[in-house]
Amino acid sequence: MGVNIAKLTQRTDLWPWLLLTPLAVYMAIFFVVPLADVAIMSFTEPSPTLSNYERVLTGGLYLRTFLNTFVTAITVTLCCLFVGYPLAYLMASSKPRTAMLILLLVTMSFWTSFLVRTYAWMVLLGNNGPVVWLLQTIGMERPPQLLFTRFSSTLAMVHILAPYMIMNIYSVMRKIDPTLIRSAESLGARGFSLFRHVYLPLTAPGIANGSVLVFVICLGFYVTPVLLGSPREQMIAGLIGNQIDEFLAFGMGSAMAMVLLVVTLAILAIYHRRFGLDKLWG
Amino acid sequence: MSSYLQLSGISKVYGQFTALEGVDLDIGKGEFVTFLGPSGSGKTTTLMIIAGFESATSGTVEVAGKSLFGLAPHERNIGIVFQNYGLFPHKTAAQNVYFPLQMRGMKKTAGLRKAEEMLDLVGLEGFGHRYPKELSGGQQQRVALARALVFEPSLLLLDEPLGALDKNLREQMQIEIKRIQRALGVTTIFVTHDQSEAMSMSDRIVVFEKGRVQQVATPLEIYHEPETKFVAGFIGESNLIEAKVTDAEKGEASNAALGAIEYAPTGKTSTGKDVTLMIRPEHIRLSRKPVDGRKNVTMKVETIVNYGDNALVIGKVGDLPMRVRVLGADVVIIQEDEECFISWTRENVYLIAK
Amino acid sequence: MNRFLRWLGIAVLVFIAAPLVIVIPMSFSEARSLQFPPPGYWLGYYTAYFTDPNWLRPTWNSILIASATTVLTMALVVPATFALVRHRFRGKGIADLMMLMPLAVPHIVMAVGYYSYFGSFGIVHTHLGVILAHSCLSVPIAFLVLSANLKGFDRTLERAALSLGASPTKTFIHVTLPILRPGLIISALFAFVQSFDETVVAIFISGRGAETLPRKMFDSIRQEADPVIAVISTLLFLAVILGVTAPLLISRIRSRRTRIAAT
Repeated sequence: MGVNIAKLTQRTDLWPWLLLTPLAVYMAIFFVVPLADVAIMSFTEPSPTLSNYERVLTGGLYLRTFLNTFVTAITVTLCCLFVGYPLAYLMASSKPRTAMLILLLVTMSFWTSFLVRTYAWMVLLGNNGPVVWLLQTIGMERPPQLLFTRFSSTLAMVHILAPYMIMNIYSVMRKIDPTLIRSAESLGARGFSLFRHVYLPLTAPGIANGSVLVFVICLGFYVTPVLLGSPREQMIAGLIGNQIDEFLAFGMGSAMAMVLLVVTLAILAIYHRRFGLDKLWG
Repeated sequence: MSSYLQLSGISKVYGQFTALEGVDLDIGKGEFVTFLGPSGSGKTTTLMIIAGFESATSGTVEVAGKSLFGLAPHERNIGIVFQNYGLFPHKTAAQNVYFPLQMRGMKKTAGLRKAEEMLDLVGLEGFGHRYPKELSGGQQQRVALARALVFEPSLLLLDEPLGALDKNLREQMQIEIKRIQRALGVTTIFVTHDQSEAMSMSDRIVVFEKGRVQQVATPLEIYHEPETKFVAGFIGESNLIEAKVTDAEKGEASNAALGAIEYAPTGKTSTGKDVTLMIRPEHIRLSRKPVDGRKNVTMKVETIVNYGDNALVIGKVGDLPMRVRVLGADVVIIQEDEECFISWTRENVYLIAK
Repeated sequence: MNRFLRWLGIAVLVFIAAPLVIVIPMSFSEARSLQFPPPGYWLGYYTAYFTDPNWLRPTWNSILIASATTVLTMALVVPATFALVRHRFRGKGIADLMMLMPLAVPHIVMAVGYYSYFGSFGIVHTHLGVILAHSCLSVPIAFLVLSANLKGFDRTLERAALSLGASPTKTFIHVTLPILRPGLIISALFAFVQSFDETVVAIFISGRGAETLPRKMFDSIRQEADPVIAVISTLLFLAVILGVTAPLLISRIRSRRTRIAAT
């Protein structure tokens, strides 16, 4: 039987690699290399120096954009939390049928293209749109400019990213044993203290998951801020796009892309160490 | 009985851990043999080695004189019923049973007809078109059995197949499995950790512990003449008494708490040896006064566990714990914390060799 | 607290639903530019969409690219998922992580990379370029779905098939594949949708030659806000409604049939 075992272990060692090779090669050529290309360009375009990074990390416009992006991402994350938590709670506390219907709506929103949802906000917030019309009907004579402001792009991003938050929190809430809440009530926890000391800690993993996801997506968000935001207050992805599209400044674009990438990966790496990255999109 | 399935010197080592050590076994054609033992005792590993899902580190498996060495599981022609049945959820009961025939190249119409016949045999007439999830646990079990038997396997292996069923259904299935096995005369190995299942179904029982075979014998032999302390303790309840042989020829030993004890002499030991004596709780009689012609000792009753038709009385003779099983009516004569007499005869005391 | 959260929840529901619903009336509006309430209703912009090659070409490009991406992604991911879920080997942890990496990298970063890298082999603005890029981005999604399915796969079924005389190949064809089929279909569907909806990379590398629908929509929204966008948005939203509710309806019909069969 000695021969048999040797054959067997050899097979088990080789077989997975054989199955994995096509994908590994593909990812090396079409994922790792283009990414490495960005890193290289950030140092070599137009000439091999550190000047791109110098400009990115000291120039007023760039720093302002980074800051702006961060503030927006934090705002969007907090708004998503504020919007997502009550809805997840509503779902978890309703009858299965109602919960199902709400989940259906959230799922539909989730699957609807970013572009479609961005366009919908353009319609809603336009100068001749329903929101302005509503404001006029209730007596506001000169409604403020809503579209192409920080407000409109933030609002749309909250709408677009809220499903990530809702689904993450809901999946945790659904698993909370209702007897736990009842036993906490029997021990005298009521109202806000019940929420603060029992419910909130139990749902914390969902909040963490949802927040990291929303924050990270928001950091690199391109479409919505470009279409709905103020041209004077760009986010980092929009600025990278400009460098490439308009100025063909690959060095500057790449340097900014690298900063964005490093920040994103750092956040995800911290998350990965604590929870494991595969849980995030689970 | 001539040997049909033969295991010789089977060992299985995983790194530092020895799962099986020198298992030798001869099973006759048509026999119903149970592998009994606690979990991790090696019974399932042995089964998987016979089926070909595990390879032994050393040793050989032969069926009808032919070695199974080098044969993949699908080349072995062995029927298996798994613990959770392993029914294909995307196939109906009849298609499940037809599957092994399909793999052997049988035509669909003939194969499905044979599958239906097999379903009839296991008592599932008219259930062929149902999917597994539309069947109860007991029905799924029958489909799995039909599927494992339809291709006339050289062996039938049952891996704790009754574990998931409730008690009543389990007893019913025990009878069914025996009936079908007898009708087809297929050599069967049944794995279980449930001793009563093993006792009621088997021609012979193989008791496993820590990767070794402890004893191979008929159910009654296993119960009355256990060869090791483990077997005595694992099958049924027993009082195991450490004693020193004082006269091997007459069959006398002594224990600190019980004094001199007579046992049926076996010739398996010699004077001066330390041995273990076994007395089954149901062989001990409990009484207010000593009984003539029996060995009597006084026991202080500690706990009485009442089961309705019988009761278990747990107490101590000196510092030696003893268990006595009495019929329900008899238990009224004593109460907890009282003293009473317990008695037995020479024939009730069995000397365990190892 | 309870009641407060509930009311807030209902308000959020409106917030989520309103933008999805608003595009439907707008698609029937006669107005040339965005205007609410619409001055009148007609089907003119639907006709416009279905006859204008400037919209049909990108739609066709997107379908083509998403289909090819799905095939390529699945061809790569299925064997790799089997390797990663069913085998233990050195470097598996890193391999697992690498599968997810494309999800972690912002698309704008990949867009910069592809723009320059594909430029160097002259496949920017081609279908091939977009397919190759989209396949990378679809890998983690297909992998996540499929590996969850494969982890839940009861391997006793394969052992049962082997014991019943099926060779490993036949076991794979007759047992593993059919049971895994729903997972494979969902996984492929996710890959398709990911490619079909992908905007950022497409904006930078699809160019005129392989212009995808999202790219065309993006450009159009940015420049003139063509009312046809409302039509496309409505159609896409309807496709989502169909896609989300269809599995529910199917499972309901199936379970009803099962109940009838069981009685």
